[in-house]
Amino acid sequence: MNVEWKKYDVLVIGSGGAGSHAAHAASNKGASVLVVSKDPLGVSDTKISEGLATVRESGSNDDSVETLSENIKMAGADLSIESLTNAFSQDSKLAYDKYRENGLRPTISLKSQTPKPLPLPLGGHTRRRTVGHNNSGIAFAHANWNAIVSKGEINYKEDCWIIDIIVDKKTVIGAVAYDAQKGIILAIQCPSVIIAAGGLSTIYFPKTDTLRGNTGDSYALAVRAGADMVDMEQIQFLPFCLTSPPSYEGLLAGEPVTASFLGVLRDKNKNIILDSVFLRTRAQCSEAIMKSVEKGNGTINGGAFLDMSANKRAPKSGPYFMEYLKTSLPSAYNNVRQALSKPASQCDELWEVRPGAHYMMGGLRVNEFGASVAGELYGKVDLGVSGLFAAGQSMGGLFGANRLGSTSLTEGAVFGLRSGEAAAKNSIYNPLKLQSNDKFLKKISEIDNILVTKGKYSSSSIKKDIQKACWKNLGPIRDKKRLNKMRKLIELWKKKIKNIRIEDTLIWNQSFIEYIEVKNMIDTAEIMLFAAEERNGSIGGHVRIDCKNISMFSKPYSTVVNINNDKSFNVKRVYRNRTPLKRMLFYKLEEIKRLLEAKTIRFLPLSIKDKILEKKYKNIMENNDEMSSIYPGSPEAAIGEKTTL
Amino acid sequence: MKQNSKDILDIKIVTHKDGKDKVVEFQYRKSSINEKTMALDVLLQAQDTILPNLAFRYGCRARNCGVCTIDINNLPRIACRSVVRNGDVLKAMNTLPVLSDLVVKRDNISRQLRGKLKTNTTKNDLNVEAPKEYHELTACIECYACLEKCPMHEKNSDDLKPNYEKEYKWGNPFTLLKLQTVILDPLTSKDDVKCSINSAIDFGLETCLDCPGCKCGVGIDLKGKVIKPLVEKSGLLK
Repeated sequence: MNVEWKKYDVLVIGSGGAGSHAAHAASNKGASVLVVSKDPLGVSDTKISEGLATVRESGSNDDSVETLSENIKMAGADLSIESLTNAFSQDSKLAYDKYRENGLRPTISLKSQTPKPLPLPLGGHTRRRTVGHNNSGIAFAHANWNAIVSKGEINYKEDCWIIDIIVDKKTVIGAVAYDAQKGIILAIQCPSVIIAAGGLSTIYFPKTDTLRGNTGDSYALAVRAGADMVDMEQIQFLPFCLTSPPSYEGLLAGEPVTASFLGVLRDKNKNIILDSVFLRTRAQCSEAIMKSVEKGNGTINGGAFLDMSANKRAPKSGPYFMEYLKTSLPSAYNNVRQALSKPASQCDELWEVRPGAHYMMGGLRVNEFGASVAGELYGKVDLGVSGLFAAGQSMGGLFGANRLGSTSLTEGAVFGLRSGEAAAKNSIYNPLKLQSNDKFLKKISEIDNILVTKGKYSSSSIKKDIQKACWKNLGPIRDKKRLNKMRKLIELWKKKIKNIRIEDTLIWNQSFIEYIEVKNMIDTAEIMLFAAEERNGSIGGHVRIDCKNISMFSKPYSTVVNINNDKSFNVKRVYRNRTPLKRMLFYKLEEIKRLLEAKTIRFLPLSIKDKILEKKYKNIMENNDEMSSIYPGSPEAAIGEKTTL
Repeated sequence: MKQNSKDILDIKIVTHKDGKDKVVEFQYRKSSINEKTMALDVLLQAQDTILPNLAFRYGCRARNCGVCTIDINNLPRIACRSVVRNGDVLKAMNTLPVLSDLVVKRDNISRQLRGKLKTNTTKNDLNVEAPKEYHELTACIECYACLEKCPMHEKNSDDLKPNYEKEYKWGNPFTLLKLQTVILDPLTSKDDVKCSINSAIDFGLETCLDCPGCKCGVGIDLKGKVIKPLVEKSGLLK
């Protein structure tokens, strides 16, 4: 393949919430920026998200940096790094305003003259601070798109796959990419690279609600560049994804909070496996479902039943509940309406749900400016890979073992902006001093060798195997046996991709694209496996059925994985500070208090219950303005379905 | 199994490699007789079986990401939520240059607006609500179904080769929608509103005067909410 050489100050990999803000910030600092994206501009998990953003102090005056920071840390089982949670909490308003400067327009509360938050705090947040938006994530995607396109100074390439980041003496000197539009190799020389290429949920299939492109590129590129990876065993599963029909499998049906005051989870025998669902975190719900499945009480499609009929049955509060359900997460409710029967979508029947891989809490080990760090405890910049940055889902250490709802869109913007500025500074103070192009040429000749491989395996079939095996052995339920199985499979896949079949096409060579992605999936699965083996207990998003739960009183630790010179992996533990016992007990007591209150309501006689709930709904839904009438996903809006049905 | 069996769908997939089209007859196997088969299901199964290197875009499977648009029987459809029937033909969109199989080159459209979209506001008070129409337009998922039969976009036809990093001279409903969004934004300055109207005229807004109107992939009223207000503001009617 022909090679084209390019020079930039900053290379941004990815064009979603994190990448677009990083590019914008770096460009504002005067850096020349190239954004490389394998999917079209702005097509990211941000675009398909529910469009909920955490904005500190949007719902109450008694919210603060400390409270928000502590909420994140408590949810993350003390694995979260304080400098990161503080940066997040500090900048959440500023980052949200950046979105608004690029065209995001929320509903404004008449009373407080601030963006209007959702009626209930999402599970784990102790304050109302989640702002919802018309058109959900699509409104955010427009803002991201605008951030890159508007000024006209940011260069970008779609349909372009980064193959590897090039590093010399632990310092970034550029990257090599496959430009599928032109059918050439790009050799990009630059002193700073920001990885903002999203998560890894596509290593599980079909059990995900997120984008196809999440093949773990962020993590594979970072680890091969020599960076430390943190908390890589911590994947968040959304508890309530649809199980059928096939076209809707894995798509979001609701969040714990939308189950409302009387929603419960039941197993196949209709026994309650979790009550007061609306107060639980995503991890608690997923765990309850998967434990019931493991006991043999799972539903036909390996899940559980979400039962919200009690909400609906109450004569006075029932209509309020339905309104609440429809408007809180409109696109999730739309999935339900299209996929399930009418009685089910009216909540008269149960919803069959199952966890779906959603978000990677772990990632590149960074400091509060998104720069790669290594070493003991919280790591040091001078030990990390110089010039390497990460933002958004690519980075780790912020959310620890579990992420609170609505925090990821904010995370992308906060750390996108921070890493963008830091990368621009790095490029100005540490410009490239290239002695030779040897490192690039070596990588290019490796690629040329792969391109002529005429083996017997197709990458797309290996992809399928990985997806099935990861769900089974590296999913929400884990034990020693499953992890050992995973290790054997990874060795097998590694052998197979050496014997792969690559076509001769130059422009959009699908077999080569699949190869790049499969390689990233295998490397990412291996990082996760090392981390999962080191984590010998249940914490956060997954359950180790062969180990005890990790006690909240033990010293918290994170796993750190990196690569050796001989391409083998290393894993170690780094210890974290535990929240003072007094605060933890306070949180626990608050939780118990809320659960008790919820339980009491559930067991009251219907007429009294109905009255109390009606009042509660009236309270939370007051002034809830009408949502826009057109949003993607509604049957009225689909010319495709209208004409072919 | 026999061809006429109820759980088989005969679909034609038009592949495209190195500048040449080829029609592949594909028999899709349904998982159950009642399955509502979407075009994307067919493409995925074809890739799993007889066409391992079939190139097509998809993202979210829920009509949100806007990248899986293809032509079904020569009309643009969002593949993940378009039901297919026996005999349907799946092909790359005819309105953009084909890179491979069902993949088209999209970025010449966004490049049109580089430096022309005045969305960067630095006003102090961001706590201003946008009108309802603004949100009706940000429902756009950028599926580019609106390019179909757009006479303004067709003027680019000399350019409809996969030219790299080249922007189109003439606009399309999506370009106009982005400009109209800026105009509807209460935070846009008067100068920037003027600028956006002038950009719309430069992109060939005049063409819209003789056009019966465009069709949106997700149901936005393009004619009423984008073209009409732009034409009215442009002074082209005088």
